Amino acid sequence: MLAEVGREDEEKWLAEGIAGLQQNAYYMGRALDTNNLRDALKYSAQMLSELRTSKLSPHKYYELYMRAFDELRKLEMYFKEETRRGVSITDLYELVQHAGNVLPRLYLLCTVGSVYITSKEAPAKDVLKDLVEMCRAIQNPVSGLFLRSYLSQISRDKLPDIGSEYEGDADSVIDAVDFVLQNFTEMNKLWVRMQYQGHVHEREKREKERNELRDLVGKNLHVLSQLESVDLVMYKETVLPRILEQVVNCKDDLAQYYLMDCIIQVFPDEYHLQTLETLLGACPQLQPTVDIKTVLGRLMDRLSNYAASSGEVLPEFLQVEAFSKLSTAIGKVIEAQVDMPIVGAITLYVSLLTFTLRVHPDRLDYVDQVLGACVKKLSGKAKLEDSKATKQIVALLSAPLEKYNDIVTALKLPNYPRVMDHLDNETNKIMAVVIIQSIMKNNTCISTADKVEALFELIKGLIRDTDGGAFDEVDEEDFKEEQNSVARLIHMLHNDDPAEMLQIISTVRKHILLGGSKRLPFTVPPLIFSALKLVRRLQIQAGDVGEDAPTTPKKIFLILNQTIEALSAVPSPELALRLYLQCAEAANDCDLEPVAYEFFTQAFILYEEEVADSKAQVTAIHLIIGTLQRMNVFGVENRDTLTHKATGYSAKLLKKPDQCRAVYACSHLFSVDDQDGIKDGERVLLCLKRALRIANAAQQMANVTRGGSGPVTLFIEILNKYLYFFENGNPQITSSVIQDLIELIMTETQSESTAADPSAIAFFNSTQRYIRFQKQKGGALGEKYEPIRV
Amino acid sequence: MASRRRMLLKVIILGDSGVGKTSLMNQYVNRKFSNQYKATIGADFLTKEVQFEDRLFTLQIWDTAGQERFQSLGVAFYRGADCCVLVYDVNVAKSFDNLNNWREEFLVQASPSDPENFPFVVLGNKVDVEGGNSRVVSEKKAKAWCASKGNIPYFETSAKEGINVEAAFQCIAQNALKTEPEEEIYFPDTIDVAGSGRHQRSSGCEC
Ligand SMILES: Nc1nc2c(ncn2[C@@H]2O[C@H](COP(=O)(O)OP(=O)(O)OP(=O)(O)O)[C@@H](O)[C@H]2O)c(=O)[nH]1
Ligand SMILES: [Mg+2]
Repeated sequence: MLAEVGREDEEKWLAEGIAGLQQNAYYMGRALDTNNLRDALKYSAQMLSELRTSKLSPHKYYELYMRAFDELRKLEMYFKEETRRGVSITDLYELVQHAGNVLPRLYLLCTVGSVYITSKEAPAKDVLKDLVEMCRAIQNPVSGLFLRSYLSQISRDKLPDIGSEYEGDADSVIDAVDFVLQNFTEMNKLWVRMQYQGHVHEREKREKERNELRDLVGKNLHVLSQLESVDLVMYKETVLPRILEQVVNCKDDLAQYYLMDCIIQVFPDEYHLQTLETLLGACPQLQPTVDIKTVLGRLMDRLSNYAASSGEVLPEFLQVEAFSKLSTAIGKVIEAQVDMPIVGAITLYVSLLTFTLRVHPDRLDYVDQVLGACVKKLSGKAKLEDSKATKQIVALLSAPLEKYNDIVTALKLPNYPRVMDHLDNETNKIMAVVIIQSIMKNNTCISTADKVEALFELIKGLIRDTDGGAFDEVDEEDFKEEQNSVARLIHMLHNDDPAEMLQIISTVRKHILLGGSKRLPFTVPPLIFSALKLVRRLQIQAGDVGEDAPTTPKKIFLILNQTIEALSAVPSPELALRLYLQCAEAANDCDLEPVAYEFFTQAFILYEEEVADSKAQVTAIHLIIGTLQRMNVFGVENRDTLTHKATGYSAKLLKKPDQCRAVYACSHLFSVDDQDGIKDGERVLLCLKRALRIANAAQQMANVTRGGSGPVTLFIEILNKYLYFFENGNPQITSSVIQDLIELIMTETQSESTAADPSAIAFFNSTQRYIRFQKQKGGALGEKYEPIRV
Repeated sequence: MASRRRMLLKVIILGDSGVGKTSLMNQYVNRKFSNQYKATIGADFLTKEVQFEDRLFTLQIWDTAGQERFQSLGVAFYRGADCCVLVYDVNVAKSFDNLNNWREEFLVQASPSDPENFPFVVLGNKVDVEGGNSRVVSEKKAKAWCASKGNIPYFETSAKEGINVEAAFQCIAQNALKTEPEEEIYFPDTIDVAGSGRHQRSSGCEC
């Protein structure tokens, strides 16, 4: 509300100012047209009196100023014409001094002064010196700043610079610089002093206004940078020290922050590089409230862009030891600003790291040095809780990964894990995921056990519970995502040398076994498969490795067995069972009967003791049968024991149809195509008959409970098994046995009580079609089928 | 006497930081170029006399800061501009995309009486860089944009090599000259012979 009123008032004052200005400008214009110098001066002075107001904010004042500025150009042109017509410029210069008020008088003096310099009737430096001195008369900050910026503007192209037409003797070059520096100094004083004016409660508004005025002060630095005479020597010896003196001594944080920023942006890169010590030396002397990290960040940004712009400038960086100077300066700033929040310090290190990565990518020692400095700053403090600070640490740690696209490089940095240790658990995990993603993205192969050790130490936040890490807080989805990324990582660990690879596997094993029940199901399988891959590799190279070689499949299997055991203890019995079977098959391929037998035994124990759910049992039993069927390493005795058990489990499944299907599947265990030794027709038939009996029982049960429809499908399935072994030449399976079964199914499907199951009928029909087809095909098989009627 | 005013032509150069506004002005006014980047702070002008159809004009060329944080005082200096030059770097796509913002910001802030017909000139600068191999904004694309904004004249320039700079500013001056003077003509309602009294209202200042 108050601000609203203020704004309205301000609009009104501005409008009044403009009106007054326009009126006097009108009369000034008329006086100029009629060549009435005296009136022109009078009205222009009145016009300029409008700038004496102290009611306007800088923005509004600037509007008024710009209008006056435009009008003064007309006056200036008139003065020029006058001198061309023979009026003495010195007279004019004298004449305008009669204006009553100081501010209008000084504006007029500057305007005539501009023409004075152009006329070259007096050396530019004398006129400028005169003007810059006289401007001291205005001590009101706002009007003083605008007046001086007017002086700076009109003198801009008339400075006695090298190569300028106003260049005087050798000294005047210095005078041009001196003039701008003096104007700058005075302006900065006015600007800084402004904060002490007015009421205390208007401080906020005043600071805002002060901030708006900053470019008037900063523009002087721009003018300096454009001067031809400000070469490196001049900059180093005069310009920079004088600016910095002003910056440091004004003890005003607003001015210090802004002017440091200006210096960095306005002067060229080479200059900064060659004066780094001086520039950086000022930093610790600034007020503790100055946002030095942004200032230095921008400096380093500029310098690294410069380094990137051309390879030719790199020697310059080395010659001036840019890195060590920056590093030292940052250390000093952090030391000097005791109250600087930790995030500030880390942000500074991030900038320095970015700088060194861009300028000296080959200097890993620099990178580690930055990380080390950061560790030092963090040490002795508890884990970081400040989210902004942790974000910066993530940035700090991510930078080398992004630069080198290779975690292996980061693993060489001793301070890298130390920085990670300072992250809270949550962020530590985020960083670990970043590391894994970097490995995935770049397809980095981690190839030695040592590196794996270092890597897993680095990502330990994902590998095991850290102290105080409350598990139940973790989001289930996030957790899965993390653990899946660890699983993917395990696949990226590889070495062609089997011995080293085994070392890698053992290292991973050591770490992941600490993971606890929730992690193991994610991390054990990839490790098992990685180890099995090694087994396969050894097997291919086989022959030349003896029993006592450092790396044998047997040794690996031993490790595998122990690893899966951890999983079954977890308990994830189904997963463990699968992995045991997988290993058994691999052992089979390695011709290691006892090992394979041991894995089966483990699987069976699990089945008996841990797999309780009936559905899981069905799945498990079929896996067992399938695997067992593919085994060829077993002697008769072992095989018998295992098949016997498998059939036993099958018959004991909870549901009849499941029993039936498992039992007929077991028939395959007694007749293996590529193993002549295993062709026990009788036991095949026994299995099938047993399956039939179970199907019968199932049907009767169904009749009782549902009063009708039985699982006729089971019979058709068994029929198909019969056909399979029939074709296979199993002597026990005869056409008449098959005929009986067909008849049985026919009666079943046609019986009144059976509500026809369309899918069963379709299944049966297609089976019949198959038989007919085989009959028609003729040949030996056709003859065999001949007796069967369908 | 309008003729005095018409001798001064005010031109504003706008565009992102680093596109070469200062360099173009320096090349045109002083025939100088520097490879070093020195940020511009605030707004600042240089003048140059131009001859046109036997008349002499003063071109007042305002160079501005492309970095927003160096434009703290606002843009009161847009007022009374006769032509606005929009500069982009042909090697930086973003600087071209931003032309629209610069143009609109100018029209809003300067609020010329006839915005449709206010003269702009677009310069695609730094065509020399890597022999043109690093450019990302094609001449065609730039011209299409200029055409869509009411046929803005377009030049491809290099402040470094001095390519097209003279021609571009010639065109800028020509367009500035075409603009009707913006100045609201002031008529006093009462003839204030003495011109007295008004300035006493201004208060709060000792000087
Ligand atoms: N190769 C080449 N470089 C140029 C050209 N024009 C400018 N530059 C360079 O580009 C950089 C920026 O130029 P400036 O003229 O300072 O850019 P600006 O638009 O004034 O930037 P601000 O003042 O920040 O708004 C400097 O390093 C110049 O040397 C050009 O035509 N060709
Ligand atoms: Mg510039």
